[in-house]
Amino acid sequence: MRRRSAAIVALLTLVTGLGACVNNRKSGDDAGPDVDRKATGAIASDPRDSTGPAPEIPGASRGGTITVIRQNRIPHLDPQRVYSFVGLNASQLYARRLTTFKDDGQGHVTLVGDLAVTPGTDVNKDCKTWEFKIKDGVRYEDGTIITSRDIAYGIARSFDLALTGGPTYIQQWLADTPQFDTRFDFKSNKTALAPGLSTPDEKTLKLAFAKPHCDLPFATSLPATAPVPAAKDTGVDYDKQPVASGPYKITKNTAGVEITMERNANWDPATDAVRHQYPDRFVWSFGPDPITQTNRIIADSGADQTAVSWSGVHPSLMAKVVGDPALRSRTIQSPTPSHNTLTINNQRVTDLKVRQALNYAIDRDGLIKILGGETAGRPVTTLMPPATIGWKDYDAYPAGRNGNPDKARDLLGGKKPDLVLAVADSTFGQEVSIHLRANLEKAGFKITVKAVPADSFYDETKKKDNPWDLYLGSWAADWPSGASILPVLYDGRAIKDSGSNNGTSYLNAPALNAEFDRTLALPTEQQGAEWGRLDEKIMREYAPVVPLYVDVVFTLHGSKVGGVFVDSVFGSPTFVKAFVRK
Amino acid sequence: MSTAPLDLGARTNGEPPVPGEPSPLVVARSPGQVVWLRLKRDGTALVSGAVSLLLIVVAVGAPVIEAAYGVGPQDSFKNELDRYGMPYGVAGGVGGAHWFGVEPGLGRDVFIQMVYGMRTSVGIAFGAALLTTTIGAVAGIVAGYLGGWVDAVISWLVDVALAMPFLIFTLALIRPLELRFYGPREVVPEWFRVIVLIGLFATFGWTSTARLVRGQVLSLREREFVEAARLSGAGLGRILFRELLPNLWAPILVAFSLAIPAYITGEAALSFLGIGMLEPTPDFGRMIYRSLSYLQTDPAYVLFPGVTIFVLVLAFNLFGDALRDALDPKSSR
Amino acid sequence: MVRFLARRLLLAALTLFAVSVLTFLMFFALPRDPATAMCPKNCDAARLERVRDELGLNDAKAVQYLNYMKGIVAGRDLGSAQGGYCAAPCLGYSYVNGEPVTSTFTRVIPVTLSIVIPAALLWLATGIGLGTFSALHRGTVLDRMAIGFSLAGASSQLYFVGGVLLLVFVYHLRILPYPHYTSILDNPLAWAASLILPWCALAFLFSAVYARLSRAQMLETMSEDFVRTAVAKGLPRRTIVVRHALRAAITPLVTTAGLDVGATLGGTVITETTFGLRGLGRTAVDAVKDGDLPTIMGTVLIAATFIVVANVVVDVSYTLIDPRVRLR
Repeated sequence: MRRRSAAIVALLTLVTGLGACVNNRKSGDDAGPDVDRKATGAIASDPRDSTGPAPEIPGASRGGTITVIRQNRIPHLDPQRVYSFVGLNASQLYARRLTTFKDDGQGHVTLVGDLAVTPGTDVNKDCKTWEFKIKDGVRYEDGTIITSRDIAYGIARSFDLALTGGPTYIQQWLADTPQFDTRFDFKSNKTALAPGLSTPDEKTLKLAFAKPHCDLPFATSLPATAPVPAAKDTGVDYDKQPVASGPYKITKNTAGVEITMERNANWDPATDAVRHQYPDRFVWSFGPDPITQTNRIIADSGADQTAVSWSGVHPSLMAKVVGDPALRSRTIQSPTPSHNTLTINNQRVTDLKVRQALNYAIDRDGLIKILGGETAGRPVTTLMPPATIGWKDYDAYPAGRNGNPDKARDLLGGKKPDLVLAVADSTFGQEVSIHLRANLEKAGFKITVKAVPADSFYDETKKKDNPWDLYLGSWAADWPSGASILPVLYDGRAIKDSGSNNGTSYLNAPALNAEFDRTLALPTEQQGAEWGRLDEKIMREYAPVVPLYVDVVFTLHGSKVGGVFVDSVFGSPTFVKAFVRK
Repeated sequence: MSTAPLDLGARTNGEPPVPGEPSPLVVARSPGQVVWLRLKRDGTALVSGAVSLLLIVVAVGAPVIEAAYGVGPQDSFKNELDRYGMPYGVAGGVGGAHWFGVEPGLGRDVFIQMVYGMRTSVGIAFGAALLTTTIGAVAGIVAGYLGGWVDAVISWLVDVALAMPFLIFTLALIRPLELRFYGPREVVPEWFRVIVLIGLFATFGWTSTARLVRGQVLSLREREFVEAARLSGAGLGRILFRELLPNLWAPILVAFSLAIPAYITGEAALSFLGIGMLEPTPDFGRMIYRSLSYLQTDPAYVLFPGVTIFVLVLAFNLFGDALRDALDPKSSR
Repeated sequence: MVRFLARRLLLAALTLFAVSVLTFLMFFALPRDPATAMCPKNCDAARLERVRDELGLNDAKAVQYLNYMKGIVAGRDLGSAQGGYCAAPCLGYSYVNGEPVTSTFTRVIPVTLSIVIPAALLWLATGIGLGTFSALHRGTVLDRMAIGFSLAGASSQLYFVGGVLLLVFVYHLRILPYPHYTSILDNPLAWAASLILPWCALAFLFSAVYARLSRAQMLETMSEDFVRTAVAKGLPRRTIVVRHALRAAITPLVTTAGLDVGATLGGTVITETTFGLRGLGRTAVDAVKDGDLPTIMGTVLIAATFIVVANVVVDVSYTLIDPRVRLR
């Protein structure tokens, strides 16, 4: 017994000793990482901007293998079914689209033609008929020439319900209805063209819409317009090994474990304005959690010297990484267009003063500490993320970084609104609920927290008649224009009675809807600043949500990796310029 | 159970009587007193029993401790966290105001969270152990005594319960049960989830006690006193609960006392996987799960709940073991 | 003997049937609509309905159950959205993972087997070793230490032990690689290096039961007459312990071991979560979270089969090893 107690005492001493090793001294907070930058964008109408080769990267050399480590698998490789950020950026390596973005990694993007000679011609200047000319010399991995028919086939197969998962813009616009699969049955006739689509010759693709869609060139930057050879379309199995049109082809796919992409000899750099082909091979490795990834890359040994951590630095290790100057050159940090709000259900919380009081009360700083601090999230007071073209910074309800409960209380004028906050029952959801409840109750609200099963949480809030008053919402636009944010989220006419809504604030203000129409009709170059102004107007007059923060990507790569940056459109690591240092 | 009603060793401390000396008085002791004496003589039992009792007192008296300590489990001290959400100071913010530091990211006091976490663990474990042992004992007695098709059915139910995946069913059933009883705007009270967890534990956990008791009953039912009761016209209920049960209290008690640490571990494991108690109820398993991410940068946050729950489970295990020894030294373990 | 076996197998089949029905029923209590997995963004009610038709979710529950069971026995046609014809044993198609369930299993079951079987051998060896050692040195300090060690193991939390092992051996000392499953056929050294920590953690926790059990059995057996005879005959201690006493003591150990291995094969969720390995347990938990019925059914049935088979094997081997049971 004595031995046992002695052993226990020894164990406890060791344990407390280990625990005492960490001493986090309170010092003056040093300057934080810079997460602000202005976004600009343009559409390049000169074909020369869309021709390759892409300019050489200084210091880049050919050869080597880059490993991308990610915790979860890539849901789909089939280009028509890709819609996740990882899928969108991974598919840039093997699937070319009609148009794509030239991105300098600092927020300046130019839309150029990828398989198309230019980013589309608006034939009748009414945004209803678009024409694309396909470049010469673009081939699949087996050497076959890519024609407009291949792209038309790709678009046609995206109408098939069995191949679901991808974006639905083009299908909906061509069929002129959200129920596009009822207008065109792909399975019954695989050689038919989708409605509105025509291929006058092998090099021309024409899309004719019933309504004007000036954003089409942006929509064609999604891999839904990737070409698919009809003879090699294996339906749901195509997801395992799609035929490549980009600089790399998929050579090995062990589902959920590893994907290997190797050089596609038939990709011609002279036709590609954006991509490079420096490394011999990319290996996508799935499984390790963020802590393991961070530790491995910090250790930088062996194959990890050419590895990139997709999942980013875990909050618990952020202080360690930021504090180590040796890691600075291997850190990638960038704001993303993923914008998070405390969404207010405007159909239930109809009193503007209550919504404004919420905006005064919110403690953004405390919330961000849960994420890991400013390296994980940047607080915002605007409806659009800073990465949007034409973004203007303003604070309609200035209350300081920790909120101003007194001002909120004044605004409420003695009332104590009883609000139900719905959160996902995941770890993050629970932690957020603790913070928000304490924060808002200090300002005079009575908050009831309702935990909803995490996997169905977002689906439930997207129902128009959901029974809650407050819930977290997030939105990342598919292209960096205010047109894919403000009207999509805040135009009350888009609210569907049943089914999934994008904007979960359920705001419906006719005057505002008219403003959206007016701004959408403006030429694209003028829209940017208009959206910025509209952003502020919506917050001041309606306060439909409480903007919280924008996700910040903070990740590491090995010492021999170069050219990896976070793209300005999706806010995820992109590898079009990646290379291995010698 | 074979504890003799007379304990000849009491006065002589186990020594055989020396011939020639006047033989010591033979003292009659009840089985309970015998057990108590044996426990008192066992050092391990005393220490582990005392620790267990202390921890139970802490669990029950959590609000009193909170009042004395001055900090509640939901009080948040975000100003004690740096810009990355990590606590200032040594060992995760240990100091006079916060004996075990504060949580990274959330800023709550670790000590009072653990005191309340103890309450959650011990409460659920006791409830589950009680229910499981009761159901198991009843099932075991009925199956063992009646035999035949009753025994066959109950044994088959044991097989099915053992073959069913506890985790998957718990994971799948917890939320729908809450949805069934509470509307979308109503908050689900803490006690509801406690009851659901206890119920789920009981549904899957009664089998070991049942098997144990059944085994004992099989050997007991051939004894004379049972035969006598049967012949004297005693009804089934009387035989089961007035004749058999009193002779089974030892294994049942041991099963109960060893079930407690098992359920403390089980509940913590569920919370570790995210299907146990939710915020704002403090819970060891959830705290350890969260703290493992901070193992490198704030190990104190892992060690405090980890060591505490280890001590808690060890104390109950040791006491259960000692109890088993005291009840039947021949079943020497 | 044959009749005994037949009866046991019949009972086993009945158990599996009950488990499958219960799982099916439980799944439909889940709030998540599985069709939403196929139709994530931009989905509306009408299209969701058509996806449900495509997946066969609008059939009566009994019909869905029968189709599923038929698939296991004889294979069935799943439709183009789910990979066409699926040969027996068809465990369905996971629209969440985008592959047939059997493919998922061929990938994850080896991981679980690799974790459990060597760990079981380790904890049996450790447990029986410690217990025998304790029994032979009964009452000494070594006895108490051995029992103390195993009790400490039994009182530990797997995720805590696992976490500390990772911190020490992988992050700080860096003598072991990050746990990442490599098949034993590809690289046995890497396979073992990744899995040695889970084996040790499991062994530490589970050996206690066996230590205790084997100690008790050994103590009892060592006081039996036949052992005294062997000692009197002058046989070396080692021979007595291993050849005679242990053999007699083995029966309850076999029972417990068999049941334990069966049960562990069915649920290694915590081990897999702690060490970041994708085995059967994690797959099952993720399947429930994603509302993936075919995978849930598949994992439950496989896990239940492990347990039931272990039970049958234990029962049968019990009669083989211990003649006293046979004669009853």
